[in-house]
Amino acid sequence: MSTTTLAWIVLLCPLVGTIVIGAGFKVLKGSAAGVIGTAAIGLSFAFAIATLISLLGHDPQHRELTSSVWDYARTLNIDARMNILVDPLSVFMLLVVTGVSTLIHLYSVAYMESDRGYTRFFAYLNFFVFSMLLLVLAGNFVLLIAGWAFVGAASYILISFWYRRTTATRAGLKAFVINVVGDVGLVLGTFFIFGHTGTVDLIKTFHLVPHVFPHSNNADLVAGCLLLLVGAFAKSAQVPLHTWLPDAMEGPTPVSALIHAATMVTAGVYLIARMHSLFEAAPAAADVGAIVGGATLLIAASIGLVATDLKRVIAYSTMSQIGYMVMAVSVGAYSAGLYHLMTHAFFKALLFMAAGSLISAMGGVQSLDRMGGFRKAMPFTFAMFIIGGLALSGLPPFSGWLSKDDIIGFLDHRGGGFLLLGIVGYTGALLTAIYTFRMIFRAFFGQPVKEAQELADGHLHHVDVPRNPATDEVEDIDVGFPGSAHHIAERAVPMKVAMSGLAVLALIGGAAQIPGVDHALSSFLDTTFADSTIIRQEPSTSAAWIGLVIGAGIALAGIGIAYVVWIARPGTSAKLIERFAPVHTFLINKWYFDELIEFLIVRPALWFGRFCETVIERVFVAGVITGGTVSIIRAGGALVRRAQTGFVRYYAAVVVAGITLTALYFLLTSS
Amino acid sequence: MSLSILIWLPLVVGLVGLALPRARVGRWSALGSLVTLGIAISFLARFKTGHAGLQFTTDKVWISELGIHYKLGLDGLNVLLVVLTALLFSVSIGWSSQREWDRPQLFYFHLGLAESAVLGAFCAQDLALFVALFDLMLIPFYFLTGMWGSGDRVRATTKLVIYTLVGSFLMLVAAIATGVLASSEHGTSLTFVLSQLRALPLSHTSQEWIFLCFAAAFLVKMPLVPFHGWLPDAYKSMPPPVVAVFSGVLSKVAAYGFLRVVLPLFPFASVHYQTLMLLTALVSIIYATSLAFTTNDARLVVAYSSVAQLGFIVLGIFSLRPTGSQGALLQMVNHGLVTAPLFFIVAALAARAGGSEDLRAMGGIAVRAPALAALFLIVGLATLAIPGSSNFIGEFLILLGVFQSKLAVSVIAFLGVVGAAYYALRLYIRSMHNRVSPSVDSREISWREAIGVVPLVIVILVLALYPRFGLVRSERTVQETVAPAQLLAGSRPAAQALRDAGLSGFLVAGSIRSGATTGAGGTP
Amino acid sequence: MSIVTTHAALVAATRIKGPHIDWLALSPFVVLSVGALIVLLIGLLSSSTARRRVVPTLTLVTLGLAIGFEIARFRHSNLILSGALQIDDVALVLDLIFSVAAIAAVLLSWRGRAAEEAGHGEYHALLLFSVLGMTVLVSSTNIVTLFLGFELLSIPLYVLCASEARREVSLESGLKYLVIGSVGSATLAYGLALVYGATGSTDFSVIAAAVSKGGLFGGVLSDPMLLTGIALVMVGFAFKASVAPFHQWTPDVYEGAPTPITAFMATATKAAAIGVFLRFFDVAAIGAQNKWGPWLAALAAFTIIVGNVGALGQSSLKRMLAYSGIAQAGYMLSGVVVGTRLGIQATVFYLAAYLLINLAAFAVVVARERESPEGDDISGLAGLGATNPGLAWPLTIAMLALAGIPGTVGFIGKFYLIRALVAGDYTWLGIAIVIGSMISLGYYLRVVATIWMRRAPDVPADRAPGQVRTPTGPLPVIAGGSPEADAGLEASGRLGAGELEPGQIAQPEVAVVAIVCAGATIFFGIIPTPLFHLVTHAGQAFAGLF
Repeated sequence: MSTTTLAWIVLLCPLVGTIVIGAGFKVLKGSAAGVIGTAAIGLSFAFAIATLISLLGHDPQHRELTSSVWDYARTLNIDARMNILVDPLSVFMLLVVTGVSTLIHLYSVAYMESDRGYTRFFAYLNFFVFSMLLLVLAGNFVLLIAGWAFVGAASYILISFWYRRTTATRAGLKAFVINVVGDVGLVLGTFFIFGHTGTVDLIKTFHLVPHVFPHSNNADLVAGCLLLLVGAFAKSAQVPLHTWLPDAMEGPTPVSALIHAATMVTAGVYLIARMHSLFEAAPAAADVGAIVGGATLLIAASIGLVATDLKRVIAYSTMSQIGYMVMAVSVGAYSAGLYHLMTHAFFKALLFMAAGSLISAMGGVQSLDRMGGFRKAMPFTFAMFIIGGLALSGLPPFSGWLSKDDIIGFLDHRGGGFLLLGIVGYTGALLTAIYTFRMIFRAFFGQPVKEAQELADGHLHHVDVPRNPATDEVEDIDVGFPGSAHHIAERAVPMKVAMSGLAVLALIGGAAQIPGVDHALSSFLDTTFADSTIIRQEPSTSAAWIGLVIGAGIALAGIGIAYVVWIARPGTSAKLIERFAPVHTFLINKWYFDELIEFLIVRPALWFGRFCETVIERVFVAGVITGGTVSIIRAGGALVRRAQTGFVRYYAAVVVAGITLTALYFLLTSS
Repeated sequence: MSLSILIWLPLVVGLVGLALPRARVGRWSALGSLVTLGIAISFLARFKTGHAGLQFTTDKVWISELGIHYKLGLDGLNVLLVVLTALLFSVSIGWSSQREWDRPQLFYFHLGLAESAVLGAFCAQDLALFVALFDLMLIPFYFLTGMWGSGDRVRATTKLVIYTLVGSFLMLVAAIATGVLASSEHGTSLTFVLSQLRALPLSHTSQEWIFLCFAAAFLVKMPLVPFHGWLPDAYKSMPPPVVAVFSGVLSKVAAYGFLRVVLPLFPFASVHYQTLMLLTALVSIIYATSLAFTTNDARLVVAYSSVAQLGFIVLGIFSLRPTGSQGALLQMVNHGLVTAPLFFIVAALAARAGGSEDLRAMGGIAVRAPALAALFLIVGLATLAIPGSSNFIGEFLILLGVFQSKLAVSVIAFLGVVGAAYYALRLYIRSMHNRVSPSVDSREISWREAIGVVPLVIVILVLALYPRFGLVRSERTVQETVAPAQLLAGSRPAAQALRDAGLSGFLVAGSIRSGATTGAGGTP
Repeated sequence: MSIVTTHAALVAATRIKGPHIDWLALSPFVVLSVGALIVLLIGLLSSSTARRRVVPTLTLVTLGLAIGFEIARFRHSNLILSGALQIDDVALVLDLIFSVAAIAAVLLSWRGRAAEEAGHGEYHALLLFSVLGMTVLVSSTNIVTLFLGFELLSIPLYVLCASEARREVSLESGLKYLVIGSVGSATLAYGLALVYGATGSTDFSVIAAAVSKGGLFGGVLSDPMLLTGIALVMVGFAFKASVAPFHQWTPDVYEGAPTPITAFMATATKAAAIGVFLRFFDVAAIGAQNKWGPWLAALAAFTIIVGNVGALGQSSLKRMLAYSGIAQAGYMLSGVVVGTRLGIQATVFYLAAYLLINLAAFAVVVARERESPEGDDISGLAGLGATNPGLAWPLTIAMLALAGIPGTVGFIGKFYLIRALVAGDYTWLGIAIVIGSMISLGYYLRVVATIWMRRAPDVPADRAPGQVRTPTGPLPVIAGGSPEADAGLEASGRLGAGELEPGQIAQPEVAVVAIVCAGATIFFGIIPTPLFHLVTHAGQAFAGLF
């Protein structure tokens, strides 16, 4: 079977899964839906591997394959076919997406077991994987945008999966609308580029770039790339379009793991990498990407320091990690960025799974303030959390260490302004280590809370009346809400398997490339980035290793600080909060981004809507246009009727007037 | 088989229905509409693609004294709209046949008359015939709204008719003037046949005022802001099947009129008023969108969303680029396909929310109605033109066309795209999600409700997979239609920039083709 | 009156020559006058059947014969009575219209109170005389015959309006019509006299020659006498055609007169008036078209507006139709204004269309008056669509046709008119017409809405059919009562409404008129070619027009 055929099958499996589960939502009993869903993704993963193998069969120069099945929307000079692009980059993404997805599906089989919306959940989840694969396989802008929007939609329905929660539906709406802003950016960007290249096909576009944009920083191209960045930012939760991601934690934890950590949110990174030939022709735009990435990683990390909702902390950490990646691919460290994308997918998914298990143990409570001392009660979860945390903090030999410092090393190597970004990177690394272990110390160490006690005594705590942690309103468990029953890793084999799988990957995933040892990943991706000019300037092995050592040191320092503040000297954090009260409030309020957007966009829009309805519609349209005309005519009618007195003498008067006028007119015209 | 059969069959069915007992007339009309649909599809099947000119033409002299021909024909502009009309009418009639109506014979008669008039308006290739049917198709809706409507129906329907006929009567004068002036300016005998009129371009001054009259008629009918005064009342009081076809089809006739009549016959005026039209469309998009933001009436959300959609369609037409018009044409079909099921869904929602169409009375309806929720979600996403849907392709082409001619306009128009996402999902969430409101009694969609939704959803999905289906038939015709105006616009600085931008392909192609058409305009 | 006598002298003068008379060409006139006399005589018989049945039948026969001869004379345009009358196709088409209108009037008054009270013989004879007058009027090519016809058509109508002698309103309307009609006639007479004085001839061809000769340089055209003459003639005609501002008698008279007569006046009289407009202005005064054209156009536009806004908010169907008739007169006048063949054709076509439409409407009014307690009050039509579709459909069609909806002959008529206007560089008048139509929708649709969209009221006890409401009718007009002010008009001439079940059609002949005319309205709306054949020749009848 040809490579592209295999790729098509990869794309189809989840779609079939969706349709089967969706169509059979009435007949599928028990965990059938879960099994089908997981099987579909697993199959798709298998075919992804097959695709990889058969792609490796081609010699490196010919690893850019396209295949078109039908003329999707071809008209006039718009060549939008239903075609996919199979090259190392897309295959790499295929593997990451399908691989992680399989494990997360497996996890969900158990985790969502007692949820009323079990079947629906897997239909959605499969649909999401399909959309994501469509996104990474798309061979032209139109399909890319389609996949782009589909993942947005999938994320919406999964965020508001528990749609009886007002908070969930609101979060979903927010996420969707911001994602649409991203789509718009993508479409407009496409227009700008299409205006010059006259094609929407990706490969053609890339090959045309040097010809239609001979000089770098062509205004239209910069505009186009900036708009593409808008799309990337919206999807990857980069400042200022990031506000939806923390709220997205309303969704079930597996969703957070899959969509809002491992796959969807990294789409922006993929996009920039995919469009690298455009960005390299428009360095101005690329720099904007790098700066925003840097800013995001700091802002997010700083918020992560103070957030108390467990999942939100991880969400902010996701934001900041993606900041790294965006920074990387914007400055040309493509393989490094994608490398981090992969490792991050592993350990972040792992962290979320562990968090899910922990939250289950807390009976749905997510606040760190109420957690503590789970170390004994949940040894497995604790181990997983530690592995994930260490990888995230970038401690040797974990994958995160290699990938993150690969990025920073590249920055330092490019020097100049990029050195600054490098320093930002290190600062971020420090903060990362701190907030990660803040989580761990607060949740697993210290005095065990009563839920932990119960669990230690072998009884899993279940609240009788589940409450929405955000609003504390009583949950409506009629549809699609787990209700009182929860599942923890310690007691569910599928969860265990999935988590251990990810743990292994988080541990050894770094082997993909180690400076001086191997560079499997970069050499594999080389075909895609063959036309790149920047990528060649990689740091020397020694420089890279220096960077790695520094990174490790910073990570250790961070962990140390966290230990001092939350274990050695309890109460320090309280003191710090007192000392820097304003800073704390500022961070607690997430730098007031929500308020800003609310104030600048949402309020005015709604106000304008009401204004139109109450003022323009009523007064102008109904009143002036319609009413005005009508009343004028009415008045005329009244006038005529008043003249119609019925008195002959009045009529006579009018007649005389008429005659006189007529005669006058003729006499005047005569002269 | 001639187009006349297709056009007049519904009327005949309606007339026969007048004689049937009330129990049977519903099924009879449903059958008739299905046959009509079948005929329409057979025309679609036999339609030769990649062919600019008219097909299946019928050309008889109707009123020789006035040079009016009974000329019908299909080409890329109307073939899909004809099928859409037949489809929406059969869906609506099928939906109605499952319900009890007061004086059903009359009800179905008026529906049949309406279908015939609309089909005729789409097929008409003679200006006078088009105008006549354009005005005529309003009358059955006057009765349908006034007799079977709800609320203050009489006032609403009177408002509707007067509003729209004000425009239509102006158009009548304009149409007559077009024929008379064309024949006098070129010293030919009086004719209203479009293909012949195309060969007799009018002087610029006459084009300008005539254009305004036509624009008035079409803009009121669509409607665009600020000509939409009749819309809220009328849409509120129409019964669901009526509002479905009204918003699904009648508004399209107006938009179609621009492509069929205005652009080819008054290219100069089209260019002259391009900015004006674009701005009107833009205002409608923004204004209607923001109204849809705030209104709590489910039906009005849909109504305003279609105003916004028509704004986009006009935007595409007056980009005066084939791309834009292609998009507009595709969007007409798409919009018809989404707006009709939406109205039926709103009806279903109201049935579950104690008869109220107020969003505040709804909520949590999805609980026991997963299928309804899924259908609603699909239609809703299509309404907000999510990429991957055929609606998106339509909007994509429209905005690309505008982007090519007036960059700023398209950038602003994108606000409408974002807005659509908000109000469409708001409608969905407020009705299906959140807590179950006390007045709601959620139950699964019944098949008699599904009649109005499922067939159209299937079509939506198919088109989403293969939008080219809607594009391939119209390419050549659209290029020919837009060419003259585009050529004139091409001589303006705006187009100069485009030529630099490497889009000269359009203009060159346009010039060649327009030369051909004006030369051989006489032959259909 | 002196002028009149001079005219008489002139007439005598022409008689003395003893001109050759083409009896065949004259046949319609002969038939009508003879028929009228016979009817009058039969009416004197004592047997009620003779009066009730024979008289109307004979009338119908007469009219039928007249129609036959008229049709027979088609395409043989010729000048008879030494140029006193021109029997051309315009005349004949108009004659047809008169006869049809008269037939309808007879049928509508078959059981009416009017004929009963006025005496059948007189009633029908007067009707026939009036028709005769019209035929004379529209074929007159001579000032004298013109005036003769004018009076011959008016005087019987004065009487007919008052024929429901027991009804105050009827008397009032007759009186009003008489008073104002005489003012009109007088104006006309003066006008004609002045024209004669200026051109020195009573013959149209001579006048036309003089006028057009003068047209070139000042000459006759700058002669105030002639112009005043034309002005006064215009006013005289305007009275009959109820052109604003000389229209005010129309609503009152139409409302008061027996409905069959109203129908007759609304169609035939209007046709005659417009016809004589054509005769005089498009033949005799065509040379001065640039002089009178604009003013007539202004009058037409004014009429359109006044008529349409006046009709809004009328509660009486007859009054509403009267105002709509005024507006329609405006439309037709615009056909005269352009002074082209097209204009004439369009006008004649519109007259024919208007005849059909209005007859359908008035037939329904007659039926309603007889069977509903509200008389011709629009609110009385509520629920008619459900209770009595046989009447509802014709009225609906008539209303839509008057509004100019496609599919009805009204649309074709408007189309034709506007086409003529645009071709004659009077596009603005065309726009005035459509603006009028827009306004007119306001009241036409109101009627349709009442018929179909309002529930039929269950008749309250005090209004039960049969018993007449306490006459809160207006004071006689001379005393200054205002019909506009009156709330409830005395339910007029309801014959045996008591025995009527709602929905049952009491008078088949009325229903027939309604349905036939409505059917024709639709038929000619879809296949107008026959009507066109009729009018195209009419257009060619006038020489000297392009």
